[in-house]
Amino acid sequence: MCVGLPARVVSVNEGTAIIDANGAKRDVRADLLEDLEPGDYVMVHAGVAIAKIDSDDEAEGSEIMSLIS
Amino acid sequence: MNEVIQQAKDIITGYDGPKIRIMEVCGTHTHEIFRLGIRSLLPENIDLISGPGCPVCVTPIGYIDEAVFLALEKNCLITTFGDLIKVPGTEMSLAGARAKGGNIRPVYSPDDAVEIAKENPDTQVVFLAVGFETTTPAACLAVKKAKELNLNNFSILTANKSMPNAYQKLKGSADAFIYPGHVNAITGNKVCKELKDQGVSGVVAGFTATELMTALAVTIEMLKKGEPFFVNCYPRVVRDEGSPVAIKLMDEVMELCDTEWRGLGIIEKSGMELRKEYSDFNARIKYSIPEIKGKPNPACRCGEVLQGHCKPSDCPMFGKACTPTHAVGACMVSDEGACSAYYQYGRSF
Amino acid sequence: MEQYITLAHGSGSIQTNELINQIFKSNFDNPFLTADDAAVLTADAGKIAMSTDGFIVSPYEFPGGNIGKLAICGTVNDIACMGAKPKYLTCSYIIEEGFPVEELKKIAASMGETARKAGVQIVAGDTKVAGKGQVDKIFITTTGVGNIIEGVNTSGAFAKPGDKIIVSGDIGRHGCTILLARNEFNIDADITSDCAPLWSNIEAVLNETKNIHVIRDATRGGVGTVLYEIAHQSDVGISLESEKIPVNPGVRGVCGMLGLEPLYLACEGRLVFFVPAEDADKVLNALRSCENSENAAIIGEVIEENKGKVILNTAVGAKTLLSRPSGELLPRIC
Repeated sequence: MCVGLPARVVSVNEGTAIIDANGAKRDVRADLLEDLEPGDYVMVHAGVAIAKIDSDDEAEGSEIMSLIS
Repeated sequence: MNEVIQQAKDIITGYDGPKIRIMEVCGTHTHEIFRLGIRSLLPENIDLISGPGCPVCVTPIGYIDEAVFLALEKNCLITTFGDLIKVPGTEMSLAGARAKGGNIRPVYSPDDAVEIAKENPDTQVVFLAVGFETTTPAACLAVKKAKELNLNNFSILTANKSMPNAYQKLKGSADAFIYPGHVNAITGNKVCKELKDQGVSGVVAGFTATELMTALAVTIEMLKKGEPFFVNCYPRVVRDEGSPVAIKLMDEVMELCDTEWRGLGIIEKSGMELRKEYSDFNARIKYSIPEIKGKPNPACRCGEVLQGHCKPSDCPMFGKACTPTHAVGACMVSDEGACSAYYQYGRSF
Repeated sequence: MEQYITLAHGSGSIQTNELINQIFKSNFDNPFLTADDAAVLTADAGKIAMSTDGFIVSPYEFPGGNIGKLAICGTVNDIACMGAKPKYLTCSYIIEEGFPVEELKKIAASMGETARKAGVQIVAGDTKVAGKGQVDKIFITTTGVGNIIEGVNTSGAFAKPGDKIIVSGDIGRHGCTILLARNEFNIDADITSDCAPLWSNIEAVLNETKNIHVIRDATRGGVGTVLYEIAHQSDVGISLESEKIPVNPGVRGVCGMLGLEPLYLACEGRLVFFVPAEDADKVLNALRSCENSENAAIIGEVIEENKGKVILNTAVGAKTLLSRPSGELLPRIC
């Protein structure tokens, strides 16, 4: 339904941001996120940063697995 | 393989309880599950059903016909996500329209379509707005930008879908749902929690190997307990409240409407259409598109496949009239479509 | 000389001669290239390999090369893959009226340089000029021959269960470079085409061992397409370790953004070898000592089962099938 790409914010400028995914850079819309700063990690879909990313998936995964074990 | 994956894998492969059916709603989940070969790990008593969460698979045939009409009869430049280009319409796909001289351009973002309109003031640019709540804000941002720029050569053809009422239609199809992580990143978890109160279980999942394996393990463990549940297995991206800014934006630019899902028929209030204030950007109004009723092949059973009611091989056209290179039904179009996957991989993967 | 190519340049007139003398001869200079109707060459004993390829690429210039370099590499690499040392090439141009002469000079210079690097001589050529709009700027066709090294016998039909599969470097860079150079998706990444002539790499391998079953250069369709071709031709299965396939991080980023599979992006300087397991390390080390194949890697092996299929061993310790691409690669959101 929705391919998302985790990327690092390089710079922010009036509702847009330059993001970097492994060296692939692009201008994306950043209007949906408040207080975005360079260095933040975001999930990008169809040229829009849709959410901030808090941690990596492994840390998230071990926390969730601890809930059920 | 990290420790978390190993731990989750042990739970998944070790499941020996009664038969359970889990539906991954999201097409990208389906894609990643195939890419990672997760199906091959499942014991016999776990059925993983691919749901209707691929915008390509659920876009009705008449929508493609409308886009072809705009390309060939109205000489519009059609900008679209690449996914839609090969989807068959009644007469032809957009790839077919391009071969007939239609101007079709894949774009990465609706924002790029607005830029194309800005740079080509003499060309009428139409963006094909498909997708669920994840993608709809991008289309709304594009429309607002076009309005701010006073562009009179940009419009969108909407087929945006909204999930909540679709879940109602899918309710009985599985014992638990794997909810689409990036839809929930926008909408939040309210609907999923309400579903839990109605007795419908599910988890919201991310898209990496670790995230998908964790989500499956949690689903299995929770199903064993027998109580309805909802677990957010993707908290690093999905917050309970979702994205209030995006929700407000969608509500400002679009409103819910009844809409057709390919194979599933019309589901009440499950589509998104531009509000009156933005009707200048509504391609259907702008070009007075006549009502186009797409003619799906009556033998096609995509709808039942999407709801998990039958297997691709139960369809009389499967592998005969309908193959990946000559797709009749939507489920055969994209690689991750249930029928295409079944055709290419068989049961072994 | 004029600044732009005109129909007169393709008419066999004084202008045609001017074009040949000033642009092609100066760059391709060798004793076989004469004003006669055909090049006169001496045949060596033994078998020869011969191949032809047409080149159209938009844009015709891209980071890491241009259509000229591509036209040499493509044919030279096809010949080299049969275990043959490329020797002679012919080239034929179809140029659109109005094409800048300066650009043609750059392309010819690049062809001359690449040919010298590949150790091949351009011995005959032809130039036609097509009216405006009849071709997209410039098309080049090259044909080449080379002598097969004695004792080498490779074919796409010779892969055997147990063979190790080696790629000569990171995959998908050419396809990704072209995608970015077209600037349709406004993505910026520091990626250059892998376009390179590869005879010296193959020679280095053959100096170590002639016991090679298959050599293929992965071009359009990428490494994934080559693997499927070999699986069919040899009627074997192929098992890949997905984590071992070398991919440049930038290429991975672009693929992530557009939802593309690196295995299906074009390469223009990458070889795929199928070698008996006992010779795999020798081949790997020989490749790693050469320019353009420093990052060679073993990515999988040939298996008896799953004939005609390419199986991936994935990050969760499961198996999946590499799906086959259906036609044009399109970015996706789903």
